[in-house]
Amino acid sequence: MLDDELISAHLQELRRGTVVLACLLILERPNYGYALLDRLERGGFAVDANTLYPLLRRLEKQGLLTSDWNTEESRPRKFYKTSDDGLALAEALRRDWHQLDGSFKALHAQPADPE
Amino acid sequence: MTLTLTDRYVDATLRRLPGRQRPDIEQELRTSIADAIEDRVEAGAAPEDAERAVLTDLGDPARLAAGYADRPLHLVGPAAYLDYTRLLTTLLATVVPAVAAYVGLMRALSGDATAAGIAAATAGAAITTAVHVAFWTTLVFAAIERLPGRRARVARPWSPAALPDRPSRRARYAELVTETLLLILISTFILLSPYVSALSDAHGDPIPLFAPWLWDSGVVYLFIALAVANLAVSFAKYYLRWSVARALTGALVQIAGALVLVWLAVSDRVLNPQFAAAAGWGSDVTHWTNVGLVIAGAITLVHTVLESVTLSRRR
Repeated sequence: MLDDELISAHLQELRRGTVVLACLLILERPNYGYALLDRLERGGFAVDANTLYPLLRRLEKQGLLTSDWNTEESRPRKFYKTSDDGLALAEALRRDWHQLDGSFKALHAQPADPE
Repeated sequence: MTLTLTDRYVDATLRRLPGRQRPDIEQELRTSIADAIEDRVEAGAAPEDAERAVLTDLGDPARLAAGYADRPLHLVGPAAYLDYTRLLTTLLATVVPAVAAYVGLMRALSGDATAAGIAAATAGAAITTAVHVAFWTTLVFAAIERLPGRRARVARPWSPAALPDRPSRRARYAELVTETLLLILISTFILLSPYVSALSDAHGDPIPLFAPWLWDSGVVYLFIALAVANLAVSFAKYYLRWSVARALTGALVQIAGALVLVWLAVSDRVLNPQFAAAAGWGSDVTHWTNVGLVIAGAITLVHTVLESVTLSRRR
């Protein structure tokens, strides 16, 4: 029997980095922290708030996101938007993702090597 | 006005952040928390419960702050860890025995020392030194880990060229033979020096080259014993596999021998003043002989440390 903890540890390892790609894709249209968290969760990208908020800052510092304060609503909100660099990175990551997917499918399709 | 849980949470987070980041992060964090609470209240939760649940989800403010500040949550990271353990092992294997041997020797020569007193002083010095070495090394590496820009860098590049090569067994055997011959020659010279000398006094008795004090106190036998132990260590190096115990003993014996030599030279207990007088040597001859011996001792110490570094790296 596979241990649940073992499975979740490996899944987490596999998914590390996918949140960045998801953020870059979602933020092609500007959005703010909590709404992004909500969209990620509904989109099947489970991420903790205490991981996401610092991550947004880091991506901004790396020039992959830009931000603007919107003070028109009841609460001042910091809106993030994917920059041109961010879009380029997202494209590269997405291509890699599909390539990996193709590689996995190819693995599955190939018969095992005869000994 | 009483502080809400959220206020306390935000304060605890901001306290751990650099001042210039605070206003921006505070506003965003407060909004995010308020949004999350509002969501839960709309779903039917009581406001206090919602606040508690949201803050619980956010987790330890220290962890959140470390994320914002991009601070590591470890003392020494994977990039520097190998260098850290190598340096620490080397220092522990060389400095600790050296200091312990020095303290033990000084205690033994102080005159009124008992065996238990010497052992206690040596053990105490070893423990104190080990704690200091471990603490300061760790502190330096923890500081390096936190230097700005440090985390972007990867570990020191490694290539197979860095693999240590083994000196050929034949070359090491020649070294061993030379060492043995040298030890026999030098020991014979020292031990015979009270009876055979180039100069003799008015009665025709030889004037020894080395200070008679060395024989009176028995230090000369200690010195020769250390030299023999050194040779034994060389043989052990040649015939036995490397082990921590062997490396430690080797370093300890070498360091002890060098320290005895330095101590004798510094306290001017090597040459016999009568011999110097009979030979017509000025005080500068004695002085420079002592200086030469101190330098020889220092070179041995440095060599021991370097050798221990190379050998522990080869592990």
